[in-house]
Amino acid sequence: MLQLQRASQRSSARSVARAARWQAARGYASSSEPYDAIVIGGGPGGYVAAIKAAQLGLRTACIEKRGALGGTCLNVGCIPSKAMLNNSHMYHQAQHDMKRRGIDIDGVSLNLPVMLKAKNDAVSTLTKGIEHLFKQNKVDYIKGTASFVSSTKLSVTLNEGGETEIEGKNIIIATGSEVAPFPGGSIEIDEQQIVSSTGALELQEVPKKMVVIGGGIIGLEMGSVWSRLGAQVTVVEFLGAIGGAGIDEEISKQFQKSLSKQGLKFMLNTKVLSAEKRDGKVFIKTEAAKGGKEEELDADVVLVAVGRRPVTTGLNLDKIGVEVDPKGRIVIDDQFNTSVSNIKCIGDVTFGPMLAHKAEEEGIAAVEYIKSGHGHVNYHAIPSVVYTHPEVAWVGKTEQELKQDGVQYKVGKFPFAANSRAKTNLDTEGQVKFLVEKETDRILGVHIIGPNAGEMIGEAVLAVEYGASSEDVARTTHAHPTLSEAFKEAAMAASGKAIHF
Amino acid sequence: MLPTIARGSAAARTPLIRFIGKRQWPSRPEAPHPHPFAPPEIKQSFGEFVSKSKSPVPQTQATAPPSKSKSGAQTYEEFWHAPERLWRRNISKAEMDAIYSGGASCA
Repeated sequence: MLQLQRASQRSSARSVARAARWQAARGYASSSEPYDAIVIGGGPGGYVAAIKAAQLGLRTACIEKRGALGGTCLNVGCIPSKAMLNNSHMYHQAQHDMKRRGIDIDGVSLNLPVMLKAKNDAVSTLTKGIEHLFKQNKVDYIKGTASFVSSTKLSVTLNEGGETEIEGKNIIIATGSEVAPFPGGSIEIDEQQIVSSTGALELQEVPKKMVVIGGGIIGLEMGSVWSRLGAQVTVVEFLGAIGGAGIDEEISKQFQKSLSKQGLKFMLNTKVLSAEKRDGKVFIKTEAAKGGKEEELDADVVLVAVGRRPVTTGLNLDKIGVEVDPKGRIVIDDQFNTSVSNIKCIGDVTFGPMLAHKAEEEGIAAVEYIKSGHGHVNYHAIPSVVYTHPEVAWVGKTEQELKQDGVQYKVGKFPFAANSRAKTNLDTEGQVKFLVEKETDRILGVHIIGPNAGEMIGEAVLAVEYGASSEDVARTTHAHPTLSEAFKEAAMAASGKAIHF
Repeated sequence: MLPTIARGSAAARTPLIRFIGKRQWPSRPEAPHPHPFAPPEIKQSFGEFVSKSKSPVPQTQATAPPSKSKSGAQTYEEFWHAPERLWRRNISKAEMDAIYSGGASCA
């Protein structure tokens, strides 16, 4: 008390003036200091960054405008599509696959509303789970739309009405991406007949005919779902191969063969010119990519899956001087710094593949850079997975890339048809393919098509991350009988010879 | 004559895999480099980008802190750029009351 009295006698007037000045500067914020870190966007990049920041002792806020955490991935992307893929696969198996396993099921029928509800339930439990994690880690969750006032201050238009301003010593932009419209603007997405991936997860009845524009991962996954549920699906792709960027040519061809067997039709090297709605249908005009050979397709539903573009609208980036490249991506260095100090950027809104797990890694690394000046993302070891059946997964270089770079390499392959577990499961389509450096035997790329490829690729990513050789993998015991033995045997084939093939 | 164990381990193969273990970062922060996925034109003009992001306030704003003012005193744009000892401390309710009541609440 004595101390306080002395202090107040000396400088009470000054203190009052000072306090008033701070109050005015702080606006609505209830706490006296700025946040150590504010994350704009609560997707897989943003929410992971926020939780990590809080775990490292930074006072953290996360701003999300959707009203639910998890971003595109959890709400309208990876998660709901996997629910639909899994359940449509089961339906398809019940219809076509159970008989040969000795299970007779009569009267199999689709209850689409229940299937859609199962998907929605998975989404809502997961998004609420993140909210719980925020509370557990003491991350302040602000539901609203952020806009920069200065490089350290954000104005947030709250979803529930009103506005607030918050201040942060570090701000991480993680605003993600949105569906890219059809180039040229000749096809308008209405999410009923002409849908994006979002609408394709909400179709209230199975279309008779569906045309998918774009043979990348999203197009093939959603095409698979509706094909299994009974639609006649045609995939139109401008390039000469399906599977999107980074897929190995051999795997892509095998993949196309598998999907064709399931009833999907493919039109490669084909350009879509227009889509016209007429008599309750959509008519799509196409021509060969090199020109000529016009055709018209009709469909009940058209899925436009030609890619995604970064979202920065409303952030006010030009006002504070954050640089954006011609493709709309925020420019960063390898430490995720933007052109404005103390503002970092991660995920789909900046360079690199638009993948949830890439954004997550960047989120953690960005926070570590804030905390300690060091972080780590290995862009050579980011896996890609297509969750069709069979699944396709890969990491590292393709054969084409190695040839282009003039690298001397060896190939080791093992088919699932020679794997005991795949045989017992009556699920033998596909193979594992290792690409290793000829001189050192170091693993440069692994490409898998087949059952459980998405889980199996984890082992390959670990091997690539730590610079393993194919012999390292080949000398590691894998349990018998498992699908993972196919992985080991492919490694054996790369470093020497496989036993079972 | 090598003991059996030494002979055994000498013959064993050395894996290529590197075990890194618990990360130990140096105390100095790393220098920034171009992002591996940046387009070539941005990689080329990277020096320009670094100089931009190194200035603590965007160039659209006029002031260039922290700088010496005319009187020679150090000035800062944000209070947290200043040393922590200069930060304003939280005022407790009792202290606020003391200030507003001119010290009467302490009696």
